[in-house]
Amino acid sequence: MFTTGSKLFIGATTLAVVGALIFGITQSDSKLGTIGLVSAAIALVFLMGINFWVRDSNVSPTDTAALTTAPASHEAPPRSMWPMVAALGVALIPVGLVVGRAITWMAVIVILVATVEWMVQSWSERASADSAYNASIRKRIMHPLELPVLGALGLGLIIFSFSRIMLRLPAAAGAIAFGAVASIVLLFGSLLAAKRTVGRSVVGTLCTIGAVGIIGFGVTSAIAGGREIVKHEIPSFAEGTCGTEHGEADHNASRAIALKSNLAATIVLQNGTLHADVIGVIGAKTTITLGRSTNSYIRFVNLDDDKHRLVADLGVDEVNINGTATKVPQQSCTQAVGKDGAQFLVLRPTRPSFSSTTPFTLSVPGVDSTITIEVP
Amino acid sequence: MTTNQTRHRRWALPLAGFGALVVLSGCAKDAPQDTWQPAGDNARKIDNLQQPVFMIAGLVLVIVAAVVGYCVFKFRDKGQAIPQQSHGKPALEIALTIIPALILVGIGIPTVNTLFKLAKTSDTQCVVNVTGQQWWWEYDYPVQDGCGGISAPIVTSGQLVIPAGQKVLLRISSRDVIHSYWIPKLNGKRDAVPGRVQTLRLQADQPGIYAGQCTEFCGLSHAYMRMEAVSLDAAGFKSWVENQLAPYEAPAAGSTASQGEALFVSQCSRCHQVNGILGADGTPVISRPDKYVYSGAVPNLTNLMTRTTFAGAAYDLMTQDCKTALWNTPSAQFSAKYLEGVSPECLDTVQLRQWLRNAPAKKPMYADPAKLVETGGKYRGMPNLGLTEDQIDKLISYLTERK
Repeated sequence: MFTTGSKLFIGATTLAVVGALIFGITQSDSKLGTIGLVSAAIALVFLMGINFWVRDSNVSPTDTAALTTAPASHEAPPRSMWPMVAALGVALIPVGLVVGRAITWMAVIVILVATVEWMVQSWSERASADSAYNASIRKRIMHPLELPVLGALGLGLIIFSFSRIMLRLPAAAGAIAFGAVASIVLLFGSLLAAKRTVGRSVVGTLCTIGAVGIIGFGVTSAIAGGREIVKHEIPSFAEGTCGTEHGEADHNASRAIALKSNLAATIVLQNGTLHADVIGVIGAKTTITLGRSTNSYIRFVNLDDDKHRLVADLGVDEVNINGTATKVPQQSCTQAVGKDGAQFLVLRPTRPSFSSTTPFTLSVPGVDSTITIEVP
Repeated sequence: MTTNQTRHRRWALPLAGFGALVVLSGCAKDAPQDTWQPAGDNARKIDNLQQPVFMIAGLVLVIVAAVVGYCVFKFRDKGQAIPQQSHGKPALEIALTIIPALILVGIGIPTVNTLFKLAKTSDTQCVVNVTGQQWWWEYDYPVQDGCGGISAPIVTSGQLVIPAGQKVLLRISSRDVIHSYWIPKLNGKRDAVPGRVQTLRLQADQPGIYAGQCTEFCGLSHAYMRMEAVSLDAAGFKSWVENQLAPYEAPAAGSTASQGEALFVSQCSRCHQVNGILGADGTPVISRPDKYVYSGAVPNLTNLMTRTTFAGAAYDLMTQDCKTALWNTPSAQFSAKYLEGVSPECLDTVQLRQWLRNAPAKKPMYADPAKLVETGGKYRGMPNLGLTEDQIDKLISYLTERK
């Protein structure tokens, strides 16, 4: 009547109940052990019931049909990693709730992915009796989703790793490393193109070694941290650096700017004289008109030998400083640049020039030449 | 009659009606923004290009549609066996590649040539800075020898005034979001991009008014962001410039307009500038729209009644009869007529009164303070100032004198 398996669980259940009784009587101070043993007994009774119900999944020797229909006669489906992945996701949720929202969202994504994958795999394993067909149908459904996502993730990981390496290396070495890696990729691609008979395994192995190498160096670089990047001070009138003197920021000033088109004006210093080139206005000018409350981009080009900066004076304006209206000179300037260097300045006058007792100007300290700014 | 014939007849009438509607829509007489009726050299260059291009494109469309239609009808499914499938017809494929390529090259050469001509700035005779913001256009005329000579900056809005026959260069930018400037009868479109200055040539053959509107969706009242280009003859433009630069004339003491001036200073001058107006202490009143409005600018009202529109050219300052009379004035008399400005008899007080009573009701402008969180509490347009009818009377009286 009782199968072998169920007898085993009956015995184990009995042992757990007896253990619970003895522990409960002798160790009355601690209820935890009793609770554990009673829980074990309940679980064992449940397992005993299942074994009893399915008769230990045994097939009767006289049942010839069971040779093809019994579950044991079928090829076992492959092991699935998705329950484990889902469990990992569930475990990450409380971690995320404590550590940060990003981990929680990652856990939710992991659970969703695992659930979908697990469902599709489970469904495909029952699609037919042919395991090869089942595997192919799963690939047909999931590969259009999996391959692009995995490809993007892999590419992202390699790019991120490479960026960590570049940030770790000294600036000069970074350029060499970048060139070297690009050359290796080009060489590898050329060899592959020239020798088409190379086996997939060889290509796969080389790619894997390359990817692992980059990721490995990337992780190492990320742990070691980026190289020290020196931040240069930004000149401002408040720090008194809009004069003829040159500070560290001026010594490290970039000499070229990318912004060259569609500017409000280009101010050129040549032979000690300033002139303005304005889009659409013919000839060099000494007066420019800037819109009120509009960002106007001004490019300064120094064609003279010494280092020079452009200074904009937009009168005096009331500025709210700690709740108090304070009159502050509206002055700003570029970094100083040497011959053929360029810098740019963004001006946003908020008042018309006629409201100021002094004219709005652009000038170069040490140079007796100015450009007048009209703000209508 | 067979079922097929009945079905065909059912479709024929609506299709014929739709076709007639499409054809007849091209016959509209009152179409101030008709790009097919150029009124200036630049628009004519575009027209000279688009006419043959449209003809070629139309011919290609007819040929392709006819061939496709023939194939669809001739080889429709009648239960016949699928014919033998063939692949590759090199001669046909090469021909079908070369012919479109030749057509594109044929169109491309005059197109590039026209683009270069339209981008030319070296022959400019007059420069106007154009700045777009939600939802109106500001025009400022820098000091220059061009335009017949301008000795001090001029700021206006709504209507761009240009000298007829002169090559005018607009330097277009924006204070907030991207807009697009388009006067169809004078040239194509040019985007107004914050921080960038883009150029557009305009030239009007004759004195007159040419309508346009913003063509880049720029927010709630994009549809109300219109503009008009007003072309005046040389003498008329000179008079206009002199009038714009004329000193401020205060209203007569004790008049309703004078009370309106005081009200303007207390209620409106925080944002709106009237050049030359003095405060109670005798000092010039300088508006600070940058403190209250997201774009940092509002229309300058110094010479409001010299233009015939307000609220971003969305509404007319003139009554419909006066507007029609102005728009239909022959070119020879147009400049003099326009320079008369908006007379008290022609002023559409209904529109202006509605605007002053509750501006956001006339033109949606996110004016509800609860909707201004993203702009740090700054308005995008004119709010409802809660003026009384008496205050509105005084303001209108004052504004009527701004000519």
